[in-house]
Amino acid sequence: MIDLKEVSYSYEGTIALKNINLHIEKGEAVALLGANGTGKSTLLKLLNGLLSPNQGVYRFNHQEITPKKLKDPIFSKKFHQKIGFVFQNSDTQLFCPDVYDEIAFGPRQMGMNESEVAKRVNDCLDLLGIQSFKHRQPYHLSGGEKRKVAIACVLALNPEVLILDEPMNGLDPRTQRWLVDFLATLNQAGKTVITSTHNLDLVQELSKRAILFDESHGIAADLPTETLLEKIDLLKRVNLVDESYPFH
Amino acid sequence: MPDWLVKNQPYSPPPDKDQFINKSILSILRILSKLKSQSGYQMDKFQVNAALKVAFTFLLVILLSLSTSYTFILVVDVYLLVVLSLMEGKEIVKILSVSLAMAIFTFMILLPNVVLGNTYTSMMITLKVLSTLIAVNILSHSTRWHSITSALRRFGVPNIFILVLDITIKYISMLGDFSLNMLYSLKLRSVGRNNNKYASMAGISGTMFIKSKEMAEDMYAAMECRGFTGEYTVHNKWKWSMADLLYILKTVAIITAFLYWGRI
Repeated sequence: MIDLKEVSYSYEGTIALKNINLHIEKGEAVALLGANGTGKSTLLKLLNGLLSPNQGVYRFNHQEITPKKLKDPIFSKKFHQKIGFVFQNSDTQLFCPDVYDEIAFGPRQMGMNESEVAKRVNDCLDLLGIQSFKHRQPYHLSGGEKRKVAIACVLALNPEVLILDEPMNGLDPRTQRWLVDFLATLNQAGKTVITSTHNLDLVQELSKRAILFDESHGIAADLPTETLLEKIDLLKRVNLVDESYPFH
Repeated sequence: MPDWLVKNQPYSPPPDKDQFINKSILSILRILSKLKSQSGYQMDKFQVNAALKVAFTFLLVILLSLSTSYTFILVVDVYLLVVLSLMEGKEIVKILSVSLAMAIFTFMILLPNVVLGNTYTSMMITLKVLSTLIAVNILSHSTRWHSITSALRRFGVPNIFILVLDITIKYISMLGDFSLNMLYSLKLRSVGRNNNKYASMAGISGTMFIKSKEMAEDMYAAMECRGFTGEYTVHNKWKWSMADLLYILKTVAIITAFLYWGRI
């Protein structure tokens, strides 16, 4: 489904990704691990077509994703419908006057009639347990509530792939636990879930496969999550944990 | 789990005109990349004190405005081109393109004057505009904005004004990043026809306004917690270097040139 071959990316001379080779199958749950600044967020933006590789090839559903193709509005919209992106900062994702309109934004664009839109919005509200604030303004919600609305907005488009950039950040433990269970449910329903995270306590429940980035902006390991978490020396070498890990 | 969510969505987007999102993204990216290039290593590479550079650029603009000598302006142009040639290729292109565009625009405005026979004056004004713009652009591209605002302290600009300038630059960068992410989000969710594009933009502007208000309040609270009582002191460590002395000698040479050719 997602295939990256020798992909590199740099921001004005500063390397962010170096020789990334990655293959993700449909229905997989993958976690991206790595210290700050190792290129995880850049990779997620690249997968969403917000950035294009300086070198290498990115294929989605066997189709090469190039800047030229993304300039074609029809292709670009079809591609963006298939890949949903939940930003690290939910504030950046919410711009409509109330939660209902926020979730309805995508379905309305897809040309659904208002009754279909209402059904889809209500399904999303129920699924995320946020029915009670459907008429509230997004900017008055708490961090956890905003995150749920942001996920609902993306789910309303029914993407095949759900990409989340550090979704646990700023959430209380209860909401983190809820989110992990929710993402597992989505994965079981057939969605491909790609998550970048620093949370080593929850990553095992989040995905069966983990990809570890090192400070040279490349992939240091691509292993089953359980196996990777046992490689404490490797986690220390990439500066993801310190001497006090594992915590007791 | 609703049925529609477990099935693949057969979808063909209808055609729509939405170049405005891409154009907005590109314009913000341009501003942000300019701000980020300000933190590059190349800045302040001549190691000349920013206060001297600001003072000299100001003086040069005045001398260029006062001069009636074509030779003096050409000498200054030669000097500016030499300085320009020491900069990076990308910067040279940026500086020259902006300055030449404005000079050409000035010349076009003065075109009726040329037709009436005042070629000399028109050329003088055009050259003066070109030289002034190159000088100011060289200052802006070779000196960090923070160094320029700090240098203003030397010229008696109140500290609080410098604080406002510094915070403005910081906020342009932070809110620029934020608005860029909002536009990215709008782009990713714009998967079909949007008949209310400007409503989405209004939503983004509204969120930006609220965000900037919250950030300003938080920052003021943080400053208070760190003992801010309305007084802000800019610390300038002045250390003379050989580069500063050479820079002063060059300034004296330019003033001498102004006085010498001014008499002709």
